[in-house]
Amino acid sequence: MAIPAFSIFSAVSELLVTAGVLYVVRRNWTRRTFPFALFLAIALFEGLVNVMYMAGRSAEASAGHPAAAALPVAMKIGFAAHGLLSLLAYMVFVVLGTLAHQEQERGRWFFRERPAMTWSFLVAWTVSIVSGEAIFVLRYLV
Amino acid sequence: MSEPRERVPAPAEARARRLRAPLLVTLWALLAIEAAGGLVISFARLAAGATPGIALHVVAGFALTLAWAAYQWTHWHRVAPWRPRLDYVLGLIGASSMLLALASGFALAPAWWNARDAATAPPYPAGLSGAHNVMSMFVLTFVGAHLFAVLHRAARARI
Repeated sequence: MAIPAFSIFSAVSELLVTAGVLYVVRRNWTRRTFPFALFLAIALFEGLVNVMYMAGRSAEASAGHPAAAALPVAMKIGFAAHGLLSLLAYMVFVVLGTLAHQEQERGRWFFRERPAMTWSFLVAWTVSIVSGEAIFVLRYLV
Repeated sequence: MSEPRERVPAPAEARARRLRAPLLVTLWALLAIEAAGGLVISFARLAAGATPGIALHVVAGFALTLAWAAYQWTHWHRVAPWRPRLDYVLGLIGASSMLLALASGFALAPAWWNARDAATAPPYPAGLSGAHNVMSMFVLTFVGAHLFAVLHRAARARI
């Protein structure tokens, strides 16, 4: 099956976005300046490009697109679950990043001071990314 | 003899009062209904081809539009002019997303109305449907971040 160019772009850029998320958290964890411009760029890029791609693909699958009609139900449920988890992880990233930026203005390190929350977020983010990449592999490469 | 002066509420008290205002509570309730309904619809539509509660989603969407327009008008007149601050940036993204989510919702509504008695799901345009989902997600994300930023800033000011 031919892989759509936007699917490849999205699969690769998800990894770059993840690198950006880890960089933002890592800088805060190591008590360095919060990279607000990078944080905002990641948040907007992830929303406007990757999530837009995911929403568009879901809408196609829901609208009875010929290719989507042949999808197994399990994969459709996987799509939907991945979408919900990605949405949750994305929302949490934006909210936590906002709070980390504000905390840093008073010399506090939000992620460093809340390791349980930070690790929970990173696990959720990783699961959402890995499930997205797994869907890409199952859909196009297997 | 001077007349007794009306007590000016402290900023924290005024904010608490604003957070309990009927219009804002209505707005939160409608947003919660739309968010929960939208998530259920988008999950069920993809997984099972069903759109449970779509009529409620559309009707509550109309009510949300009216409540949000009224709230946004008063909110902006209270916080204007624009300031280059994080909470303002997040609020602007949240408000723009709300506008686009509602506009795309209105654009999708005719397809639902025309197919309301049909046995099959309405033929929603995929691009428009995707845009509505993304903008709705932006609303939840950036309105939430805006609220957290404002409350956090207020809490910090009290310390």
